Amino acid sequence: MKQNTENMIVYVDSEQLNEFLDSPKPLMRGYGYEWEGENVIHLYTKPLTHAYGKEYDVYFSKGKCTLCHPDTYVVDVARMYGEMKVEVYYINVEGDKIPLDANFIPSKDDLYSRSKGLLETNVLKTKRAMIIGLGSFGSQIAIELAKAGVGYFKLFDYDRVELHNLARHTATVKDLGRLKTDVIEDAIKGKNPYAVVEKFPIDINNHLGLLEAEMAKADIVICATDNNKSRFNISNILVKLQKIGIFGRAVTRAEGGDVFVQRPGGPCYCCLIGNQWFAQAREEITNVASARRNGQIAAYVSEEDAEAVVQVGLSADIEPICNMMVKLALVELSRGTQSGISCLEDELVWDYYMWANRRERRHKNWASMPGAGNKPTIMRWYGARVSRNENCCLCAPQNMKLDEGEGLLDDFGIEIKNTDLSDVTLK
Amino acid sequence: MKANKRVLEQNLPQNAFLFKDDLLLVAAKTNSGKIYTVWIELCDNPKAGVTKVLKDKKGKNLDCCSGAMHTLSSRHGGTTICYGEWSPMTSLYKIYIKCRLWLEMYELHLETGYFIDHYLKHVG
Repeated sequence: MKQNTENMIVYVDSEQLNEFLDSPKPLMRGYGYEWEGENVIHLYTKPLTHAYGKEYDVYFSKGKCTLCHPDTYVVDVARMYGEMKVEVYYINVEGDKIPLDANFIPSKDDLYSRSKGLLETNVLKTKRAMIIGLGSFGSQIAIELAKAGVGYFKLFDYDRVELHNLARHTATVKDLGRLKTDVIEDAIKGKNPYAVVEKFPIDINNHLGLLEAEMAKADIVICATDNNKSRFNISNILVKLQKIGIFGRAVTRAEGGDVFVQRPGGPCYCCLIGNQWFAQAREEITNVASARRNGQIAAYVSEEDAEAVVQVGLSADIEPICNMMVKLALVELSRGTQSGISCLEDELVWDYYMWANRRERRHKNWASMPGAGNKPTIMRWYGARVSRNENCCLCAPQNMKLDEGEGLLDDFGIEIKNTDLSDVTLK
Repeated sequence: MKANKRVLEQNLPQNAFLFKDDLLLVAAKTNSGKIYTVWIELCDNPKAGVTKVLKDKKGKNLDCCSGAMHTLSSRHGGTTICYGEWSPMTSLYKIYIKCRLWLEMYELHLETGYFIDHYLKHVG
């Protein structure tokens, strides 16, 4: 089919053009990916990992290219007085050169220039975010941090994209079956091609040594897993390494959610166990298989009953919780710099944040939004301090006092006799 | 583990518990005077049970998942008890106490025929 280049929108990558100009090669072959039927083509010196559309041959040349291969794109590039001059043209099947206007994918330094002033993008591009769990929370948070200009990512998740994920995950139908780490790497690089992404498709609970080694290199840890076992493990290492971690979760049917920030010297995730609000909230169960794996649904619960327990909230209901986690992360990553969000350092000072989407269950007695006054109502954040448990086994091991089940027998109203075991022999 | 040992030593005589391989074994004497050996795995979120496969009132082995009887698939050659939620603050002794409670319910079940779930709606 004859290529219609009329009104063709062409993008070339500034960073790649500079790399080419700095290389000794006079000519190099590249790759063109056209959004067919949309009159848009992107020209690269390197192949895309997950390319799209129709592929074209492209030649990058320093100065005028003498090649005349039909049905190819040519990018002539030169540097004059420090300025880059670029000419792009398409060589049609008759060998005619059809000049095209070039647009530029900005270089690393300019990519997030629009955020300058609000975010200290030069600082953020050196920061390392570790995101553990790439479900509906982790996927959105990763992309938001990439959009804000965070430059380094460590992604942990061993799951693959399944059909039930699609309603809330950033993954699309064409990602079904792919590892979430790969999908989110693509999404991050789609926003920031210069981001460095390290992927760990593993169960962290079985690789605590690796988790600790990687966490030591991270500036912020986002805990977006769906089970307490991993949260306790992450919290434990955060205490050890004196790092900041942000934990978030939705409660049943995403009627609300909470966010906890673990800071050095402050309460750890384990200190939350005795917190009334935290303990009252039943975590949202979005998938039977993972809930069984995590012990949220006991093994003896039938498949039918287990399915009834799965109550997935709306994507729109978890967005505010993700958003709060992103803001908390950006404040921590920007701390000490003079950025437009520095003022939030005085606002986001709490350990624990609560959010309600609907007046249901534990929020049912909350006031309705109109006329709520000072009473708690929906769609507002409430922050609270959490007391550190002086006997916590994770953050105060020297004073650790484990739960010995005091009062357990009273709770069940059963008289327990024969507590003297001095005469028994264990075999 | 030190803290767990301390709690056990404070609450049980030395002869009533021992650590063997990856398990803690603890003697449990029920109100009826019957003696069982409770095992508890030594890991995060440990499983726990008794060293024998117990039978229900109808003579069926308690060796699989049962909501009514609060059991899980058999491990370590015995009945596995579903004791409820765990956190790093949960002592091995608390798990033992929960198993001890389950054994009382189990013996009540043998007497009355009611499932354990009848007595133990929630194991917190």
